[in-house]
Amino acid sequence: MGVISTSSRDAEARPVMARVPLVKAAVLGAVILLLVLLVVQPFGWVLFNSLHDDATGAWTLNNYARVVQSAELIEPLVNSLILAAATAVIAVGIGVPLAWLVSRTDLPLRRTIRVLTLTAFVTPSFIGATGWILLAAPNSGWLNTAWRWLAGEGAGTPLNIYSMAGAIFVCGIYTVPYSFTMVSSALDEMAVELEDAATTLGCGVLRTMASITIPLAAPAVIASFILSFIQGLTLFGVPAFLLTPTGIPVVTTKLAEFYQLFPPEIYLAAAYCMPLLLVTGALFWMRRRYLGRKQYVTISGKTRAGRQIRLGGWRWPALILALLVPLMSVFLPYAALLLVSLTRAWGQGLSWENLSLYWYWWAIFGNSETHTAIVNSLVYSTLGATLCVALGTLVAYIVERRLMVGASLLGAVATVPIVIPGIVLSVGFFAAYTRAPLNLYGTPLLLIAAFAATFLPIAYSHGGSILKGIGPELERAARSLGAGEARTFLSITLPLMGGGLVSGWFLVFIPIIRELSVAVFLITPKTNVMTTLIYNAKDGGNYEAVCAMSVLLLLITLFLVAVARPLAGLTGARRTSRKTATAAGVPS
Amino acid sequence: MTDISRRGLLKTGGLAGAALLSGGLAGTGFARLAAAQDDPLYAAARKEGALTLYWGSYEQQTMEAIRDAFKAKYPGIEVQLLRQASQTVYTRLRLELQNGVAECDSLGTTNLLHYTELKKIGALAAYDPPDAAMLPAAFKGLDKDAMYHVGAISLTSINYAPGKVSAPPTSWTALLEDQWKGKITTGSPAFSGDVASWVVAIRRKYGDDYLRRFGQQKPKVGQSNVDTVTDILAGERVVGSGAPFSYTLTQKAAGNPIDVSVPTDDAILNLGLTGIPVKAPHPNAARLFTNFLYSKEVSDILSKNYWPTLRTDVAWAEGRSLDQLKWYRNSGDDLAAEVAEGIAKWKELVR
Repeated sequence: MGVISTSSRDAEARPVMARVPLVKAAVLGAVILLLVLLVVQPFGWVLFNSLHDDATGAWTLNNYARVVQSAELIEPLVNSLILAAATAVIAVGIGVPLAWLVSRTDLPLRRTIRVLTLTAFVTPSFIGATGWILLAAPNSGWLNTAWRWLAGEGAGTPLNIYSMAGAIFVCGIYTVPYSFTMVSSALDEMAVELEDAATTLGCGVLRTMASITIPLAAPAVIASFILSFIQGLTLFGVPAFLLTPTGIPVVTTKLAEFYQLFPPEIYLAAAYCMPLLLVTGALFWMRRRYLGRKQYVTISGKTRAGRQIRLGGWRWPALILALLVPLMSVFLPYAALLLVSLTRAWGQGLSWENLSLYWYWWAIFGNSETHTAIVNSLVYSTLGATLCVALGTLVAYIVERRLMVGASLLGAVATVPIVIPGIVLSVGFFAAYTRAPLNLYGTPLLLIAAFAATFLPIAYSHGGSILKGIGPELERAARSLGAGEARTFLSITLPLMGGGLVSGWFLVFIPIIRELSVAVFLITPKTNVMTTLIYNAKDGGNYEAVCAMSVLLLLITLFLVAVARPLAGLTGARRTSRKTATAAGVPS
Repeated sequence: MTDISRRGLLKTGGLAGAALLSGGLAGTGFARLAAAQDDPLYAAARKEGALTLYWGSYEQQTMEAIRDAFKAKYPGIEVQLLRQASQTVYTRLRLELQNGVAECDSLGTTNLLHYTELKKIGALAAYDPPDAAMLPAAFKGLDKDAMYHVGAISLTSINYAPGKVSAPPTSWTALLEDQWKGKITTGSPAFSGDVASWVVAIRRKYGDDYLRRFGQQKPKVGQSNVDTVTDILAGERVVGSGAPFSYTLTQKAAGNPIDVSVPTDDAILNLGLTGIPVKAPHPNAARLFTNFLYSKEVSDILSKNYWPTLRTDVAWAEGRSLDQLKWYRNSGDDLAAEVAEGIAKWKELVR
C-alpha cells in the first residue's frame, strides 16, 4: 500500500498514516465492545437462565431434557417450523417478483407500491390478525358475508382465517416487506452488463430475469428468506389470535403459556428457544455453503446504467398482480380497522348516527399517556435504528472484507438476537441492563439498546447482502492511493451502499416501532411506547381505540416513509447522473 | 430521570432539606390542601413526593381515572402508573427483586398466589388501611398479617347478543343444551386467569364430565375472555362462557348490542389483590394510595366503569350489588396445583 506514495506525501500527512491502524483498532474495539454489551451479555443471561430450575434456582439440565422428551413440547416446535417455512416461501415467492417489477420494469405506480409495501410492515402482528379476523372469520367475516350475499345463503364459508392456512397467509403477507425491500435494494444497485449480454444473445425478458437477474440477487434473496423464516418462528400475535381457536400450539404461544403459569416457568422458556437457534444456525450454515465462493459483484469500476425493461402489454396485468400485496396487507385489513375506528360503538354496525371521530380525538388529545408514548416510540425507533444500522453495517463490512481474525464469529454473534422470541429476550435484557456495568433500568437508553440489539440481524444481513454486490476494485484503488480502511469505507463503500442503507434503516425502524414483546419487561411508566398502549386497549377490549391507534400508527409511518423516499432519491439521483456520465461513452 | 435524581437529592440532602421543600409546597397550595393537611400519612407521603403503581387489575381507563383522582386529592405526589397484564406485572416485580431493583410502591394483580408467594419470601410489608372497614364483610381481613388486601372484585359470568338470542342461558349447565352447539365463545385457561378460575370452579361443581360435554359444544376458544365480547359484537358467536361481567356491561353502556346473564349456579368471583413491597421506595405514598382505594371517590369511579365497588355504601352500576347475585369463589391452599390440573384437563377434553 505504501509502495506508490512516497514523493507526494508531505510531512503533514505522515501522522495520518501512523494513525490509521489506531483508527482501525479503535473501530474494531468499539464494535466488539458493543456486540458484547448489546448481544453477548443479554444472550448470556438467556443461556444462563435456561440452565436453571424455575422452582429452586439451582443449576440443571432438566429444562432441556423436558424440551426433548415431552411430546407436548415437540408438537409446537413442529408447527412453528411449518408456519415459518411456509411464511418464508410466501414472502420470497411474492416479494422477489414484486421487487423485480418495481426495480426493473416500467410498471406504473412503482413508487406507490414501494411506499405501501414498506408501510404495511409497521402493522403489529396482532393488528394484522385483527384486521383479517374482521374480514375472514367464518361466520362474521365481511368477505364471507359478501360471498353469501352474492352466492346465496347456502353458499357456506369460503374463508376460515382460524386455520393454519389462515395464519400462514397473514404471516406471509406481512413478511413480504422483508424480501421485497432487501431484494429491491439489491436490484436497484445492480449493474446491467450481464443482462445486456443475455439479451444480446437472444434471451427474452423472463429468461434474463430467471437466469441472470435473480441469481445475481441471490445473497439478498437468501438473506430475506432466512429473515422471513425467523419472522414466522417468532411472531406471537398472529398464531395467538388465529391458531389458539383451532387448538394448534406453536412455540410463541407455548412460551406465553409458560409465562402465564404460576409460578412462571421463565427458565424453561429460555431453554425452549434454543432449538429455534439451532434451526436458524443450520439455515445460515446452508447459506454459507451455497453462496460460498460464488461471486455476486455487480457494482464495480465499470459501467452501471439503470435500464428499464418495457413490459408492453403486460404492464397492466402486472400492475394488478403487484397491487394484490398492498390490497391484502394494507387496503382490505385497514379498511376494516378504519370502519371500526370510525364508529362510536362498533357492535352497532354502520349507520350515520354511529359514525364518529371520537376515538381519534381520544387517541390524540383525550389521553395524556398517548402523547408520551408516540414521542417515545418515534425517538426510540429513530435512535435504535440508527445505532443498529451503524453497528450492523460495520459488522457486515468487517465480515465481508475479513478485516480481522475471527470476523465470521462477529457475524454469528450479530445474528443471534432476532431468533429468540421477544418475551424471552426481554428477560435477558432485563438481567443484563439492571446491574453494573450498564445499569440502564428506567432510562430510554435501555429500550434503545434493547431494540438496536434485537434487530441487529436485519441490519447485518441487509448490509452484508449489499456489500456482496460491491466489488472490491474501487476499495483497492483507494487503498493503493494511500487511504486507510476507515477512509476507504467512508469515502468509497458507504456512498456505494447509499440508498440500500436508507431502506435498511427503515427495515429496522419499522419493526422497532411495532415491537411489543421485547419491551414488555423493559418499559417503565416514563418510557412507555405506543404498542403497549395499543395492546392494553386490546386487553381491555376497547377495539375502537385499538383500531384508531393502529390507523394512526400506519399514517405516521406512511408519512415518514413518503418523506424519506425523496431523501433517499437525492443520493440516487446523484448516482444516476454519474452513471449517465460513465455510460455516455458506451454505445447502447 | 429527573425523578431519580431528585430522589437521590432527597436522600443525600437529608431530611432537613426535604422538610423545607415540602413546607414550601404546602404554603403555596394551602387552601386546596387544607382538608388533607391534617393527615400525617399524607404529610409523610408528600415528603416522598412520588408513587409508582404496578397494576394489572382494572383496565387502563379505570386505572387512569383512579390515578387522576388520587393526584387531585393529594397534590404534590407524582404518580407513575405501569399498567400491564397481571402476570406480566408480577413477573416484572420478581425480576426486579432478583436483580436488586426497587421501583414498585404498590402492586395490584388478579392472582392471590402472587401474594402468598411474595409473603413467603418476605417481600411484602404489612399495612392496615383504616378505610377498608367499609369493604363487604366477606373480603375483610384477607390476610391475618395485613400484608395484602382486596384491590378489585371481578366476576365471571355469561354474556350474549340480545338481538340474536331470545332466551339466554341462565346457568353454566344450560350452556350444555343442544341449542348452543357451535354458538359459544370462551377464553383459554392457559392464557386467562379468569377462565382458569372458571375451570377450577366448574370442575369443583360438576367434575370433568362438564368439561367433556362443554368440549362437545364446539366452543370457539380465544385467548383472553375479553375475546368473548369481540366475538359476540362481530357476530362470530352469540353466547360467551367464562365471560367478563364488568367489561361486558361497559360495552353495553357504550351502546353495543351485548348483555350479561348472571348464572343461577353462581357467578365465579375472583379477587384482585394489592400489597406494598417491603422495599417500596415510597412506603408512605404507597400506604396513602392503598387506603385511598377504599375511599368513596374510588368506589364511585368503579361504579361508573361498571366494576363492583369496594364499599358497601356505594352501589354498583345499574343498581346491582353483591347480595343480589349468587357467587362462588375458589378458596383453598392448593390452588396452584388445581389450576395446573384444570388446564391439563381442558386441553384433554375441550381441545
